[in-house]
Amino acid sequence: MISVQNISKTFKLYQTPSDRLKEIFSKRSYHKSFSAVNDISFEVQEGETFGIVGENGAGKSTILKLLTGILLPDTGTIHINGKITGLLELGTGFNSEFSGIDNIIHNATYLGLTRKEIDDRLDAIIAFTELKDFINEPIKTYSSGMVMRLAFSVAIHADPTVFVVDEALSVGDAYFQQKCMKKIKAFKKKGGSIVFVSHDMNAVKVLCDKALLLEKGKMLEQGEPEGIINTYNFLIAKRSQGEKLQYQDTPISSSGYGNHKAFIEKISLINENNDPSEILLSGHPVKIIIQIMGHNDIEKLTLGFVIRDKYGQDIYGTNSYHLKKEISINQGERINVTYSFDQFNVGPGKYSITAALHTGSNHIDECFHWLDKGTVFEVISGNGHIFTGLLRLTPELYMDATKQQLSPNKLPT
Amino acid sequence: MPSMDTSFIIEITKRDFAERFAGSVLGSTWAIIWPVVNLFIYIVIFGKVMGARLPGTSDMNAYGIYLAAGLIPWAAFAATITRSTSVFIDKKHIISKVSTSLPSLQLHIFLSETITFLISMMVFFFILTLQGHDFHPSLWLLPFLYYLQQLLALSIGLFTAVLNVFIRDVREITGVILQLWFWFTPIVYTSDILPGVVQKILPYNPAYIIIQSYQRMFIFHDYPPFHALLFLTITTHILLSFAFATFRYLEKDIRDFL
Repeated sequence: MISVQNISKTFKLYQTPSDRLKEIFSKRSYHKSFSAVNDISFEVQEGETFGIVGENGAGKSTILKLLTGILLPDTGTIHINGKITGLLELGTGFNSEFSGIDNIIHNATYLGLTRKEIDDRLDAIIAFTELKDFINEPIKTYSSGMVMRLAFSVAIHADPTVFVVDEALSVGDAYFQQKCMKKIKAFKKKGGSIVFVSHDMNAVKVLCDKALLLEKGKMLEQGEPEGIINTYNFLIAKRSQGEKLQYQDTPISSSGYGNHKAFIEKISLINENNDPSEILLSGHPVKIIIQIMGHNDIEKLTLGFVIRDKYGQDIYGTNSYHLKKEISINQGERINVTYSFDQFNVGPGKYSITAALHTGSNHIDECFHWLDKGTVFEVISGNGHIFTGLLRLTPELYMDATKQQLSPNKLPT
Repeated sequence: MPSMDTSFIIEITKRDFAERFAGSVLGSTWAIIWPVVNLFIYIVIFGKVMGARLPGTSDMNAYGIYLAAGLIPWAAFAATITRSTSVFIDKKHIISKVSTSLPSLQLHIFLSETITFLISMMVFFFILTLQGHDFHPSLWLLPFLYYLQQLLALSIGLFTAVLNVFIRDVREITGVILQLWFWFTPIVYTSDILPGVVQKILPYNPAYIIIQSYQRMFIFHDYPPFHALLFLTITTHILLSFAFATFRYLEKDIRDFL
């Protein structure tokens, strides 16, 4: 169990570290204060997963560092029953010259195990890594995936009562990830708590029992993940209205390639409330607006876009040619082209949009402008049913039950 | 004293040695080769080949033993201070990732240097036995003397380590001071060649008190100056408390800055 009460942490920003010493001897102040965490309290019960949500710089990492004892709070108290281990410190102190087994022992020491505890668990740790054949080789011969397996294996066997996880687990291949998830579930079942920090709203929704929303070091809300995520989205939407999205503000027409007879100025995303937003709800109305500009008069212009996932795979793409809409542009003319979706049926995840201006059905004959990753956005689950994958298919479920009399001696075996 | 994790200290000390000799064929044998070579230089090269004599003795070996008796402790003393000074910066990658007791990091240097010292001393005693050296009973005080010397090194090292986080020049300054300190302490020479003024302030040089004690025990078959040692013991403990208080006062900042 974790009990955090009214912790605050202010970083003093000095021009140079030596100013800190000057301050002791003179009455003058040499620093600017930056309040990273301000009066935060929360409790995590046994077996519970607690999510901490917030934008970059909201203080999430600072809270984790305070929890794990790397940093000390200015005020407030932190009580943790048992040991806390972070997955953020995976592989601390690994030395590539040494063998896997040496590194296990060394790393486990950093995680607070005594020599005897390590010896008792060594076999289990090695078995979990499935690297038995390589365990006596120096880890410089390992692939990065193998090193991660080694590191994770040590962390999960350190027997903490609280696990701190920063962002989604990305250790090794899918098989090993599943193995890790299983181990983490078993850990929860035994009464272990998890503190989970993420930008991935979907992961928070699926994994966490409770969540905390941070903004600029202050707690905005605490409670059910569902409500927290809604507030978070609202926050982002509000901010993007006021300040405009940074990403889209940067001039992007110079990037990409093509002959620039016409070019793409801006790609923006509009949510159902007609607000620009980088966060979209799966299954809800969305508009993709692409602003183009003509340098020359072009009669038959095709504008296309592709949505790609975080691995760069095409999820969906089409263009005006295929949609049978003709676009023509004159010199100095600016056109906003809108692709409107009644239901944006893309699954939760991070995506980018690539847009292209060309002639005909594809960009091979003449390409005016091809803009990779013109904008990025994230899709989170909407209010409908929970699903996994890239597509929000909306199946209906029917059942057709019939009853059949089975004679006892004809039971299927 | 702070809560310390013995397992942790032992493991990082081991790693210390392992890393130093990582990848070499002879491995930790090097930890023995070095003191042997050094003692060979002190005793055979300086003592026999160059024929340097210790004033007031007729013993051919005396100067070599005098050198070794001073240099072995000094090496441990200076190395402890130097390495302690930069330990927080050197182990930054650990401190900023896992919860570590910072004093434990200091203690691991204490331990690591003690091992080096013990190996050197064992080789030294072995050579002395071979030469049929006459061991004085005061040598039983050696562990205490070593403890005191290292406690002093730790106090200084902890203090400079704290400063070094804020002013990186401290590491270099410490190096310079140690170098000067070495030459202002009669280790390779004897105190009577110093001018009168310097001789007067010499008793206030803590390193002199310590090194002189070693020299008396090994060479002059005498007991160390007890009054001076008592004075040093008290000073050292005050210094240590002061260094530790400074450390505790600034610990939060140290962690923030790393």
